[in-house]
Amino acid sequence: MQNRLEKAIALAGAAHTPAAGVAPSGWAVLLRRMGRFWRSAMSNRGARVGMVLVTVLVLVAFFAPWIAPYPPDEMGAGMSLLTPEMAYPFGTDEFGRDIFSRVIWGARLTIQVGVIAVGISLTVGTLTGLVAGYAGGWTERILMRLVDVVFSFTETLIALAAVAVLGPSLSNAMIAVGIAAIPFYARVAYSVTLVERNRAYFDAAYVQGAGHLRLIFLHLLPNIIPPLIVVATLGVSSAVLAAAGLSFLGLGAQPPSPEWGAMLSAGRDYFNQAPWIMIYPGVAIMITVLAFNLLGDGIREALDPRQTV
Amino acid sequence: MASFLAQRLFAALLTILVTTVAVSMLIHLVPGDPVQIMYAQSQGTTPEQLEEVRARLGLDQPLMVQYIQYMGRVLQGDLGRTIRGDQPVLELLLARLPNTLILATSALVIACAIGLVCGFVAAYRRGTWLDTLLMTSAILGVSMPHFWLGLILLFYFAVHLQWLPVAGSGAANLVLPAVTLGVTNAAIIARLTRSSMIDVFDQEFIRTAYAKGLPRALVLYRHALRAGLVPIVTMIGLQFTYMMGGAIVVENVFGWNGVGRMAIQAIFQRDYPLIQGFILMFAVVVVLVSVLMDLLYAWLDPRIRNR
Repeated sequence: MQNRLEKAIALAGAAHTPAAGVAPSGWAVLLRRMGRFWRSAMSNRGARVGMVLVTVLVLVAFFAPWIAPYPPDEMGAGMSLLTPEMAYPFGTDEFGRDIFSRVIWGARLTIQVGVIAVGISLTVGTLTGLVAGYAGGWTERILMRLVDVVFSFTETLIALAAVAVLGPSLSNAMIAVGIAAIPFYARVAYSVTLVERNRAYFDAAYVQGAGHLRLIFLHLLPNIIPPLIVVATLGVSSAVLAAAGLSFLGLGAQPPSPEWGAMLSAGRDYFNQAPWIMIYPGVAIMITVLAFNLLGDGIREALDPRQTV
Repeated sequence: MASFLAQRLFAALLTILVTTVAVSMLIHLVPGDPVQIMYAQSQGTTPEQLEEVRARLGLDQPLMVQYIQYMGRVLQGDLGRTIRGDQPVLELLLARLPNTLILATSALVIACAIGLVCGFVAAYRRGTWLDTLLMTSAILGVSMPHFWLGLILLFYFAVHLQWLPVAGSGAANLVLPAVTLGVTNAAIIARLTRSSMIDVFDQEFIRTAYAKGLPRALVLYRHALRAGLVPIVTMIGLQFTYMMGGAIVVENVFGWNGVGRMAIQAIFQRDYPLIQGFILMFAVVVVLVSVLMDLLYAWLDPRIRNR
């Protein structure tokens, strides 16, 4: 009975009040919700497939030196433009580099892109939305107007502008892609904050005299995290796509980097003689993006079964 | 309706204003000396010449003055001259803009045709194998990098089968880039249409319409489709913006002679006046489209039309 009551309170998103009468930080509640959240997400078939693919990707990236038969930039690992065979499962490129090894090493770069780009947009976007929603008044109006303005351009344009300023390189592409997605995260954080600050737990913490920082970071932040997990998971997909696109255009990773977009860009001249140069890096991008899309969709459905896209 | 539109127009003007500020300050965000970077690729530029460029671009003035001068020129239709070739930026961009708009519009038509039908069918046949098939294709489509799809189509249809030309800017050249851009975006439209239509199908007025004994086609067409269309129209406006962004990449795959290809070259050449002009023009197009969409939206939705 006690347990069920607790569950009901946690489900309602309200903090349960221990005997001491101090509102517990939202983090404790979040941690308790996470287990249920996780099980519910993993009951979705798409999310399970996505999770398996993501795990494989991370393992491949981590163990790249052990999995890849050759170093990624070893020229003349085989003859140039060899068709796929046992020794070179994905064939070789124009310099005789083993494409399989390059795709494997490329996974590391892709993970970096995901972590850094999403890290930037998640941190800056969440803070912007959170502060705007919490502060209200002019702060809210100015911040969100600005976010709307930036949002009205496409991510591609903002990323291009950022690369134009910073100069072409993979790390700059990661930063550019991260900046470009900030408005999206800010909007979600903002709209959830508006809902959460009207909840009872927030008032409870407020009347107990919690300060601004405490209200924002101990009470609001943990409660806006679940929807942001969805946004960030789907955000990895778009970040990987966008960064690969920039690298393909020559504005991101530069040769001889085994970044997948850059590999596609370098291989396009040999498409006719050696289509495998173009196939495998593209498939790698697609599987990665698909994995995070499936996972993100699944988590969203678990969070809000009504809102199925 | 007037207040709704006034609000939207205000937002549009504000967007353009913020863009001009951002664009005019863009050059100062460049790490290092922008003038030196711009001319790094041209051989034998003397420090005096660099100083002259600095003065010509107004970079030696206070920021506020620079912005006012920039706005003054922009309002007279002067976006400056390119670093390479010393050509007027506005003319260059306007000469290429129609190509990009044609590409984005044809892609949008393809995307809507495929996306709306698939999304509607998937929603109507929700839970069946057809729904699963369509939505699986859609998530694969969403996950496909369009430059990769473009390369594969290019290789197969232009190089291998030789049905279509490889590069150029004629009507036959439009097919592959438009399909590339259209198909990947059709997937997004299909997913959104499906969820929007499912919301509508679940509503009471649809049940009422069926209960009245209206034929299914009439309920679908007159009741469901009309109600579902309103959010879809807003979404399609947004899609056009995506198309414009996607066009930048796709133009480079197919050598389509639009502003996107020019912009990428400008970034490589560090031709900042051209980059600035491109961003400003892109912003204006995006804002104009969104205002048009708001008008359409206001006209479609009686709750706004009659306010």
